[in-house]
Amino acid sequence: MTRGKPSAGEPEASEAVSYLEAIRQALWEEMERDEAVFCLGEDIGAYGGAFQITKGFVERFGAERCLDTPISESCIVGVAVGASLLGFRPVAEMQFGDFISMAFDQVVNQAATLRYRYGGRESVPIVIRCPAGAGVHGGLYHSQDTEAWFVHRPGLKVVYPATPFDAKGLLKAAIRDPNPVLYFEHKGLYRRAKGPVGDAETLVPLGKAEVKRPGEDIALITYGPMVPRSLAAAEKAAEEGIEVEVLDLRTLAPMDRDAIIASVRKTSKVLIVHEAQRTLGVGAEVAALIAEEAFEDLDGPVVRITWPDVHMAPFSPPLEEYCLPNEERILAALKKLAAY
Amino acid sequence: MSIKVLMPHMGESVVEGKILRWLKREGETVQRDETIAEVETDKADVEIPAPRAGVLAKILAGEGATVEVGAEIAVIEEEARAAAKPVEARPAGAEREAEEEVEEAGVGPARHGEGRQKITPVVAKLMERHGLGIEELRAVEGTGLGGRVTKQDLLTYLDRRGEAGTAAPAPPRAEPARRPAPAREREVEGAEALEEAIEEIPLKGLRKAIAEHMVLSKRTAPHVTTVAEVDMTTLVEFRTRHKARFQAEEGVPLTFMPFIVRAVAEALKAFPHLNASLEGEKILLRRHYHIGVAVATEAGLVVPVIRHADRLSIRELAKALHRVGEGARARKLAPKELEGGTFTITNPGVFGGILSTPIIHQPQAAILGVQAIRKLPVVRDDQIVIRSMMYLCLSYDHRIVDGATSVQFLQEVRRHLEDPLGMLI
Amino acid sequence: MPKKLRLSDDDLLKMHYFLRLSRAFEERLSVLHRQGKIIGGIYSGIGQEAITVGACYGLRREDFICPLHRDLGAFLVKGVPPRVLMAQVFGKGTGLSKGKDSYLHAGDSRLGIFGNTSMLGANLPVACGLAYGFKLRRQDHAVIAFFGEGAANVGDVHEAMNFAAVHKLAVVFVCENNLYAYSTSFEQAFAVPEVSVRAQAYGFPGVDVYGNDLLRVHGVMQDAIARARRGEGPTLVECKTFRWHGHSEHDKASYRTEEELIEWKSRDPIPLFERYLTEKGLLTDEVQRRLTERIEQEIDEAVAFAEESPWPEGPEALEDIYAPAEAEAAGDQG
Repeated sequence: MTRGKPSAGEPEASEAVSYLEAIRQALWEEMERDEAVFCLGEDIGAYGGAFQITKGFVERFGAERCLDTPISESCIVGVAVGASLLGFRPVAEMQFGDFISMAFDQVVNQAATLRYRYGGRESVPIVIRCPAGAGVHGGLYHSQDTEAWFVHRPGLKVVYPATPFDAKGLLKAAIRDPNPVLYFEHKGLYRRAKGPVGDAETLVPLGKAEVKRPGEDIALITYGPMVPRSLAAAEKAAEEGIEVEVLDLRTLAPMDRDAIIASVRKTSKVLIVHEAQRTLGVGAEVAALIAEEAFEDLDGPVVRITWPDVHMAPFSPPLEEYCLPNEERILAALKKLAAY
Repeated sequence: MSIKVLMPHMGESVVEGKILRWLKREGETVQRDETIAEVETDKADVEIPAPRAGVLAKILAGEGATVEVGAEIAVIEEEARAAAKPVEARPAGAEREAEEEVEEAGVGPARHGEGRQKITPVVAKLMERHGLGIEELRAVEGTGLGGRVTKQDLLTYLDRRGEAGTAAPAPPRAEPARRPAPAREREVEGAEALEEAIEEIPLKGLRKAIAEHMVLSKRTAPHVTTVAEVDMTTLVEFRTRHKARFQAEEGVPLTFMPFIVRAVAEALKAFPHLNASLEGEKILLRRHYHIGVAVATEAGLVVPVIRHADRLSIRELAKALHRVGEGARARKLAPKELEGGTFTITNPGVFGGILSTPIIHQPQAAILGVQAIRKLPVVRDDQIVIRSMMYLCLSYDHRIVDGATSVQFLQEVRRHLEDPLGMLI
Repeated sequence: MPKKLRLSDDDLLKMHYFLRLSRAFEERLSVLHRQGKIIGGIYSGIGQEAITVGACYGLRREDFICPLHRDLGAFLVKGVPPRVLMAQVFGKGTGLSKGKDSYLHAGDSRLGIFGNTSMLGANLPVACGLAYGFKLRRQDHAVIAFFGEGAANVGDVHEAMNFAAVHKLAVVFVCENNLYAYSTSFEQAFAVPEVSVRAQAYGFPGVDVYGNDLLRVHGVMQDAIARARRGEGPTLVECKTFRWHGHSEHDKASYRTEEELIEWKSRDPIPLFERYLTEKGLLTDEVQRRLTERIEQEIDEAVAFAEESPWPEGPEALEDIYAPAEAEAAGDQG
């Protein structure tokens, strides 16, 4: 099968591409592979999407499979649900993940409960892409990480890749998954994260975390934008003799409990890092899980480094910088925990 | 860059503080604003936050040390030196020498300090799994915080033990030397000893401060006390009528104190020498009215100050009095709330006292003792009637204030209290 | 019947059967509820049967209906066996939800039925999704989306109508205006005289029809469905009617007058249609008697089935959250 693509040249599977390009590739390949896959969202058609992810899609797949919608987030998700009942695999886009609040009912009541209320006879194979995250001067409504809301809701799967490889592999897997999947993509990583990606049949399975860096002394459990920052902090910590294991959760629901427990058993000290707010963030669930199932393996308190309990994100740069968990804070926490 | 940590100023009359305990050890990383020590002063226990983030490089005053305000108590290094593993940072000097000596003697290192006692879940699990008891744990070298035995320490020890073949029996821990026994434990023969038992209480903290201050005050100011008698009937009736509603609306009780503070503030405006202090050869008349109100606490008398008391309404005074009262009893007042008073009111009447000769709170000019309100028969218009009567006892510094002024001041206070509506104008 | 309708005698009798079956089913639910044999919310559509039967009769299996809580009859017309529907209401494992949700919150895509949540109006965007899917496949199937006049003011309804209009989707929006949304009267919730006028604002036709006249409703619906199949886009069909019972079985409906109820009861859609059938010679006493017997039997059987069906087991509450990945799901229907 030929793969016509709008960008110049076709990258080899091992060539480094950006996180944004990885998402684009995944979407393109899945739409080529399966006619049932189509996209819908605001400005994704001729304009190519607010982040230019779907540039060239209309020319290749037609306006019906790369559908420009009116500004109607709730309808976007509802339409995706309806179409999926006929066997389609819609990929709905929230232009900014923050706007998912407008579609909240369709996500948490319509999509999330359908299989359950149908007695398990049917499911909703939709993907909702949410460009998310702070550090981009987005203010209060273009910077949110709302994954925790949906991790808490049964019936939804939630993923948040950190690397181009995972971004591509997870999106493909999410599209092929028969359940509703919320796919969080970090805006700051779009162009900053570069790396190799897999080929058209390389999937990253949902529900599986990955050790991005092995270590003996501390398990640093994280996901999304905090993965590169954690890796950088881990390198600095290594210079001081602290070997940090960085575990990238990748999927937040269902969470890879086995991988978490394994890293905790190995190191006995845990630092959890995420960009989203502290209270009832994903880290709280990880910490509770560890306290409950790995209590006897702990050699120190379970610590979290997160955004404070304020909105994501205050607009003025010094305010946002103050809130954003950075390499320095992570490193300081690693050192303190190592000394315990 | 080295940052000095100083013993902070905690009230104008406070000149020193005692380090109660250090929450961090030398070599530990501290965050900015993180509490690193607890200090006791005459007025309150205070937490010392780190002025900057960094490493607590040196502790200059240990636990129990009394240090002058403003003196250095520790040093923080702002950038953590990338040296050996932080876990290897130890309390400096003597302790390490002692360990080495003991090690040479072939006995396991004896260590003190609370970190030693912490056994984390994983360490407990390993101990159980390898049949290692508490006694043997003492033989394990601890590299964690405060000498704690970490998982790695234990694993290292177990490796070595496995190599050595036998477990070394742990030596009994040296008992810390006991302090000389207090008097009551000295051996005295016979029942006589019990009848003449003496309980010793060391003079320290707030008690000591009060003792010293009282002597100083009496030595400095020639005290004279003058008494006025106030008919509080109007106020008593007013309060009875309004106190339930007030409590419901404001959530704090309505006492007589707000009215007294108000009356005093007004009277001080008319008689500024009562709101003054003597400094060297100058009398300083203060035109601001920061009224201290003495609160009895378990540890002794504390005097929180209500700033600009003349600007507060009765409601506001009632709430402020309640707040500082609670704060004082809980020993949670900030140093700023205990200093800067220009006049003090004390209330022995609350315990039933009818007359007193209070001691002036230096460097003020006077102090007013408010006594108990009692129903007494008095003569009005040649009739004997029952009125609620209260004495006001004013001690004043006769260097600054004359008798006539003091009496007139008291009469002004009395006038306000007997005609409270007049204070509204 | 309207000239253009092509309904055989058999069709007419079948429609009559569904009218009577719906009525009997819901009357029985009311009794069972008052006997304490069924629990939860029961939202009676008694008095409104002409709409569900008129709208749903004659649809293809592939056409989808998106009913709401008061459209029980639609489930029967579209092919859900009465016993399964009764088990669903009872909360038994043999119902559509296997006990996981109540009343009409489950559907069956094989029968072309979408079961909504309790969020009124949330079914309309889904209806658009179904219709969009038909469009992508170039199929001329239709989607009937039901909502009450109360739900007409929900945001999702606006988004869906606009979307359907823009893409000319094959959706027929059926508004059952029974004049009261729980206790809120039409006048309290609308600044326009009718719901159907709103269609104009989106760019498609809005039609008003007397909802208790089965053949009228059916005629209007057939027109709208034909329009939809031809790719001409959506229609809003507003059917005026009245519910005899309260909003739910718990509601005494004190916000309505006795007079209103009497007036509308006198317009009972079933006798209205039966007069027509009688005039045509299709409905004799004998036919009616046999039909009554048949329906009683079916309802009795449905109740017996539901009563005898097992309850789901406690741990089943933990099942059916996620669909397994496709390799494992080979045996799964759906």
